[in-house]
Amino acid sequence: MNIYLKRFLQRGLVFGGFGPIIAGIVYYIISLSAPTFALDGKEVLVGIVSSYVLAFLQAGASVFNQIEHWSLARSLFCHFSLYYIAYVTCYLVNAWIPFSWDALLIFTGVFVGGYALVWIIVYLCARHTGKKLNEKL
Amino acid sequence: MKVTTVIDPSREEEVVIYAHQESALVKEIERIAGGTPIELIGYQEKIATPLDMEAVCCFTVQNGKVYAQTHSGVFELKRRLYQLEEMLPRRFIKINQSCVANIRQIQRFDTAFSGTLRVIFKNGYIDYVSRRQLKSVKERMGL
Repeated sequence: MNIYLKRFLQRGLVFGGFGPIIAGIVYYIISLSAPTFALDGKEVLVGIVSSYVLAFLQAGASVFNQIEHWSLARSLFCHFSLYYIAYVTCYLVNAWIPFSWDALLIFTGVFVGGYALVWIIVYLCARHTGKKLNEKL
Repeated sequence: MKVTTVIDPSREEEVVIYAHQESALVKEIERIAGGTPIELIGYQEKIATPLDMEAVCCFTVQNGKVYAQTHSGVFELKRRLYQLEEMLPRRFIKINQSCVANIRQIQRFDTAFSGTLRVIFKNGYIDYVSRRQLKSVKERMGL
């Protein structure tokens, strides 16, 4: 088995379980603020499975940045695409956003903004590390 | 013999011995501190050349072959990278899966668009620090 595929699956299996736990916590918080909040059996099942798959893919996707023979564009494209598809699918199947173009457009804007913000933070951290290492040279 | 140790990460590591005469102790300290000199042979167009380790910027793997990037060109080596790692002095550090860098030959670190750290060597060669090796690079550099 390809070493990176193996790592993808390993990370997914290790961290996938956190998805349903986080989803459960979110449901609990919602129930505290909205006492009439209730889910039927199908919604619970979809919520557990989809949040597991989301966490699985999100953890596994971290491997893309470590495939050293991939170009930056390729790893960034694969990382972003997998995240975006996983999140959109999860939000739609759970009806956390309505299936309409307007809602998808707003979601995409927020997602791209959030992704860019995280990337900027990672970039600034790397720049800071580079600066510190240069001082040591 | 009086012994003084100064821990100062900003200075180059150096051992200076003041002795009244040559002795077994002096030779032993020299051997331990200096390490065993490494002799590596590089090949350029089938011509074997002894490599000056101080002039080696890094050892890289390209297409399954190990090369030494130096100021006087690129030399192929007949050893594997993991073998070199085991025998090289501490100033050589693995920065990614395919590159072992000579810290003294690093000109500067630069940040790439991806958020990874690029390493620019004094001979102009550029490589990068993988996320996996970043922790050990920082530790070795005293961060």
